[in-house]
Amino acid sequence: MDPWLLITIVLGFAMAWAIGANDAANSMSTAVGAGAITPKQAVVIAGLLEFAGAYFFGKSVTETIRKGILDPSMITDPNVLVYGSVAALLAATIWLIIATKFGLPVSTTHSIVGGIAGYGIAYAGTSIVNWGKMAQVVLSWVLSPIAGAVMAYIIFKIFTKSIFEAKDPIKSARIWSPFWIGLAFVVIGTMFYLKVLHGNDIKTGVIMYGVPLGIVVFVITYLLIKLRFLSSDPFIGVEAIFKKAQVVTSAYVALAHGANDVANAIGPVAAVYTVATMGMAGMKVPVPRWILALGGLGIAVGVATYGYKVMETVGKKITELTNTRGFTIDFSAATVVLVASWLGLPISTTHTVVGAVIGIGLARGVKAINKDIVRDIIISWFVTVPVAGLISAVIFKVLMLVG
Amino acid sequence: MQVWTKLFAKSPFKPLIKHAEVVIQTVETLEKALQAWHNGNTEEMERLAVEVDRLEDVADRIKEEIRDSLSSKLMMAVAREDVLIYLHMQDKVADSAEDTAKWLLVKKSVDVPAEIKDVILQMGTESIKAAKLVYEAIVQMDRVIESGFAENEIKKEYELIRAIEDVERKIDGLDTKLMKLVFENSDKLDWGTGFCILNIARTVSNISDKAKDAAERIRLMMNK
Repeated sequence: MDPWLLITIVLGFAMAWAIGANDAANSMSTAVGAGAITPKQAVVIAGLLEFAGAYFFGKSVTETIRKGILDPSMITDPNVLVYGSVAALLAATIWLIIATKFGLPVSTTHSIVGGIAGYGIAYAGTSIVNWGKMAQVVLSWVLSPIAGAVMAYIIFKIFTKSIFEAKDPIKSARIWSPFWIGLAFVVIGTMFYLKVLHGNDIKTGVIMYGVPLGIVVFVITYLLIKLRFLSSDPFIGVEAIFKKAQVVTSAYVALAHGANDVANAIGPVAAVYTVATMGMAGMKVPVPRWILALGGLGIAVGVATYGYKVMETVGKKITELTNTRGFTIDFSAATVVLVASWLGLPISTTHTVVGAVIGIGLARGVKAINKDIVRDIIISWFVTVPVAGLISAVIFKVLMLVG
Repeated sequence: MQVWTKLFAKSPFKPLIKHAEVVIQTVETLEKALQAWHNGNTEEMERLAVEVDRLEDVADRIKEEIRDSLSSKLMMAVAREDVLIYLHMQDKVADSAEDTAKWLLVKKSVDVPAEIKDVILQMGTESIKAAKLVYEAIVQMDRVIESGFAENEIKKEYELIRAIEDVERKIDGLDTKLMKLVFENSDKLDWGTGFCILNIARTVSNISDKAKDAAERIRLMMNK
């Protein structure tokens, strides 16, 4: 086997591991934090679903240069693509590990975008970068958290109005809880079509997947609540309903994450694979199944080895996040991502989730949020692309000299 | 992602509730001490008065812990100042109980007319009501936040605040009654005993005064 391919495979696996460690724990952390599942259960569910998402639903064709950040016509030497891919992967992995170490939720997509832009600039100067695409990435830093916060604020307000502020909270909880959970599944069904099955037409997604799934879930939840509503206390009763719903929404997030984010790790591997086997540098290349499996396995291992630790701490430390609030965060983030993909706006899920947490805080839902951490997180978003880019540029230069 | 553990800061409400529990214990112990004093059981009274002092110390420690954890770096559902002033007032409830215990200890006034003793004991019993209502009010405040400031939960909170104000009014009435009694019985009391009794009455009525102030702060927490 080509030694460069071997190196890239190892790096792709490392990157997948870092994605699993940094990102995948996110999907389950609200459920773990709210006590819906134990950290152990979360690791098993997230690991399996991330793998399934990556292996079965990961795109079988990927762009060699993520998100069209570089102009492919300017890369004529296949070696540049090989060294560049190695540099980008290594840089993104290093940055993700640093961010994870400091507990900062950075976007894996932005890390790899930074890495790719970094080697591109080191190779051919700034003209190689598609700045329109880069502007979209920068826009998402601002857009995602604001959209997340606004959506979570609104949903939380309507949510509390419909249940807790009703004259008879128990009665309205019986009707409104299935409604909200059903609505969340309309979003999930549509997202499944768009993100997991990689469909294009949002209308098809809503009509064929979203609405039917939403109705089925509404009926199931309605009947379950009719059979047994756990407590005469509407607070405890409502929390118990959303506890169960949260497990499913988190599981979905893990599946979709695997299907989408695996590309960040395997895109560069596929690029090198194409060069190694066909000797050419294309823009879009087919991805062999085994590379997808490798990516999925990497993410699952990341969840199991590092994500476990993270989720365990989350389970023990977060006591201020209730099930309804966890649900509201998941639901808001999913809705924002859905609306954004419909409007063609660049949105980062990680950033949206953090925005949603702040939105619920502003709606006076969360008892206390640490302002300092919020500041650190926002700074980390702004430095992700430049830092990953810089590391990548240095590695690329070194590889070009010695390679 | 460790961020979740750090992003959500520790809420002050659970510790506030814990502090309120200790405050109830302090006032309850004081009532028992007053009971012993009423029955002329000096030994038991002294033991309980010392216990009041100890419980007040416990409340103080919790108060310090809460103060330390409430940095301005937090974004909270209620204003930080309101929480801090509330905590101060809630702690004052225990402080006042301790003040009463001190007066019980400094002067062993045994030859106090029964009707005066009755009123003081009554004031002690009412004070426990005030302390318990403060506890209920802070638990309910937690609920108000839990419900996202739902109208009916706020309504329940207002009812508790009004109940605290009622108790305070009642103790004020008893306080006036006691002052009159002390002067009516001035021939039977030496000046020292009279002085001591009036101070006991003042510190006991302080318990409900501070409870009312605490309730007032909770009202402000809801009207941000």
